[in-house]
Amino acid sequence: MGAFETISFRPENCNGCNDCMIACAQAKAQSDDAARSRIQVLSSDGSYELAMCRQCGDPECVHNCPAAALSKDAESGVIDWDASKCVDCLLCTVGCSYGGMVYDVDAGHVAKCDLCDGDPACVKACPRGALKFLTTARIYNEVGNLEDLFVPGLAGCQGCNTELIIRHAMRRIGPEAVVATPPGCIPGMGTVGYNGLTGTKVPVFHPLLTNTASMLTGVRRYYKRIGRNVKVVALAGDGGTADVGFQSLSGAAERGEEMLFICVDNEGYMNTGMQRSGCTPYGAWTSTTPVGERGRGKTQDAKNLPLLMVMHHCAYVATASTGFMEDLYDKLDRAIEASEHGFAYLHVYSPCTTGWRFPSDQNIEVSRKAVRTNFVLLWEFDPQSGLRLTHAAEDPLPLAEYVMALGKYRHLSEEQIAHIEGTIAQNVKFVKGLAAGVPLAAAPA
Amino acid sequence: MSAVLKPKSKLIVCDGNEAAAWAVAAARVEMVAVYPITPQSSLVEYLAKFVADGRLAAELVDAEGEHSVLSVLQGACLAGARTYTASCGPGVAFMFEPYVRTPGLRLPIVMGIVTRDLLTPQSVWGGQQDAMSVREAGWIQVYCESVQEVLDTTIMAYKIAEHRDVMLPVNVCHDGNYLSFGAARVELPDQAEVDAFLGEKDVNWHVALDPRRPMAVDPLTGGAVGSGPATFVRYRKGECSAMQNALSVITEVHEEWGRRFGRTHAPLVERYRMQDADYALVTIGSMTGAAKDAVDAARERGEKVGLLKVKTYRPFPVQAVAAALAQVKAAGVVDRSVSFGWNCGPLFQDVIGALYHAPRRVAAMSFIGGLAGADITTGHFDEAIRRVAELAQGAAAGGTVWLNEKD
Repeated sequence: MGAFETISFRPENCNGCNDCMIACAQAKAQSDDAARSRIQVLSSDGSYELAMCRQCGDPECVHNCPAAALSKDAESGVIDWDASKCVDCLLCTVGCSYGGMVYDVDAGHVAKCDLCDGDPACVKACPRGALKFLTTARIYNEVGNLEDLFVPGLAGCQGCNTELIIRHAMRRIGPEAVVATPPGCIPGMGTVGYNGLTGTKVPVFHPLLTNTASMLTGVRRYYKRIGRNVKVVALAGDGGTADVGFQSLSGAAERGEEMLFICVDNEGYMNTGMQRSGCTPYGAWTSTTPVGERGRGKTQDAKNLPLLMVMHHCAYVATASTGFMEDLYDKLDRAIEASEHGFAYLHVYSPCTTGWRFPSDQNIEVSRKAVRTNFVLLWEFDPQSGLRLTHAAEDPLPLAEYVMALGKYRHLSEEQIAHIEGTIAQNVKFVKGLAAGVPLAAAPA
Repeated sequence: MSAVLKPKSKLIVCDGNEAAAWAVAAARVEMVAVYPITPQSSLVEYLAKFVADGRLAAELVDAEGEHSVLSVLQGACLAGARTYTASCGPGVAFMFEPYVRTPGLRLPIVMGIVTRDLLTPQSVWGGQQDAMSVREAGWIQVYCESVQEVLDTTIMAYKIAEHRDVMLPVNVCHDGNYLSFGAARVELPDQAEVDAFLGEKDVNWHVALDPRRPMAVDPLTGGAVGSGPATFVRYRKGECSAMQNALSVITEVHEEWGRRFGRTHAPLVERYRMQDADYALVTIGSMTGAAKDAVDAARERGEKVGLLKVKTYRPFPVQAVAAALAQVKAAGVVDRSVSFGWNCGPLFQDVIGALYHAPRRVAAMSFIGGLAGADITTGHFDEAIRRVAELAQGAAAGGTVWLNEKD
């Protein structure tokens, strides 16, 4: 069985406005009466709870139905209700523990959510983002059958985000590719292998830390010359991208070389012992910005590499996070497509359990918090459309939720936190300004 | 060098930089990456022009620096391309990181070094300090004497580099300012004849980045345990063996060139008037022309002096040098660069190392000249010949003689 799309509910964003219920009632019962909505938001001790069909994988309502009026659609996962078979016994309502099967008095039948054919009215009506339509299942269904192009047992640290990123990326990119993994965690975990054994099922190599984009230039140009379409892909850390690798990156981007350059940003030289890089944020502990009587972590802000790449007029530039996989996959698809005709750059944030000092089961949660506090902004850019935020920067969580989750920030003073908040505010303003601006391609010369 | 013009060849007048570009076109190079630097710049301009004119059917990558230039070629070569670039001086220094890696990957890349002195003091003029500074990096290095030799050797370099007993990159060195900008009458070989001479390219049979032949290129080796050390040693030893194999391959390729094109160049060393010589000069590169003139003049005065030109510098032709100098009483080695720490020239070091294999001791002394574009004139060589004659008669060698110290 595949995975299915569903609606998520975040009670902390809900204020009980009932707009979702009105929208549902209008869409499904042509009524303004919230009581006829198939989604019910209920107030409970100052918070809110959701009563609606969860489209269960093992649905009690379907089991209870004596007339086969309820069935789970194998394609969409939606539990369909067939009015022509229903005998109005209401046994289904007994089975459901989510309040998803309710009796509609005016209709004289049970009524349940059908996800509006994949475009739920309630979600569109929610003004505060409390409801969200999750299409993550697409990833499982579409990508789950693609071959994982790395061998099992790569030696990443427990809970490594980078391993997740590269496995997902290469599944999507496919086997007709040549992969460059400059020195760092990615070859360090064994992708290029040790002593003659490889960790990857496609051609893979160690470039130097300095020349990834240049070596890929040679590979792609030659294959293009002889009429073969071979994708060339960099899976690089932030050091090999932003610091010592920047010259070759910048040169290849300026020339518009056709490649997909994925920077896996764990904000430092994690593989070689957690030293500071140009992408290490202000205040962060690293082994070369240690905390002591005088040292309080890094004293400079990180360089904003993805924005630098925007200014190279790349065919596509985006930031992404494994906390938001649908977004990551959308961007991966666009980046792969763009790399067929120009330089595509994808900057993926990769919290590092070892180097950032947090429990290894917290990686996705840390990734989410980075985005929800606006510490990381998710956006994409292409010259025709300009820059577009793909995750709203409004109503961020307090920064403390993010920095306090990480050992590398444990020493931060209030002044240092205020500095980071100031940097974030500036960054949000700057990126929003770019998002509001005219597309680069349309800008006057 | 002797020349018999082949029917389909063509005579042109060009400098060494243009001659190298003609050779690249004749070798049907498929990928050229360039970055300009004095005195190499006109060479890459010729390459770009040849591409623009359709004379050279290569992909041209105008990279953002020499480091990337060589990196682009590595990628292209791993994908299957025949490749070329040229650089010099600080450019060679900047590309050092991919440079030292190229022989280990066994990539048959050909790169011209339009030799230039290294900084500092600041200088943009000729000298061989750049090429000499990378002499231990695993590249084959050959040094040319004339514009014609630049053209012919650059073509031959592909046959040497791609030979399966070799599979190493080759530097074809020609002196900045002198050969780079000195125009001469040269013969362009017939294209069909060059095609027949070089045959099919053979660049990545051993290591490739190709989805049809998936492999991990250059996985981690070494360390104190497992198969690491043995793997690493096997590769290093293989490089060293290939270097030694190159001595006979270079000789064979030069002989074939002579047969096909009617124009011969000494492959490893050239003996000039050495037959009955009591003492000899040892030279490298374009200085050899003036040195031969000085030797001729000395011979007319009745002095029994000869000359040994070293063309192939890496691998160093130890046996050929030892055999050629075994008969003389004294040798004066003229370098166009220095060896810091030895207070002499690097060629001098190599020559005295080779003389260890001679049946008897040959006295030797070091001359250094031509730094930063200085001329080494016949007058300088007259002085060198005088000093070596004294050495042959039992005088003390003394320290290194700096030929242009008082110019």
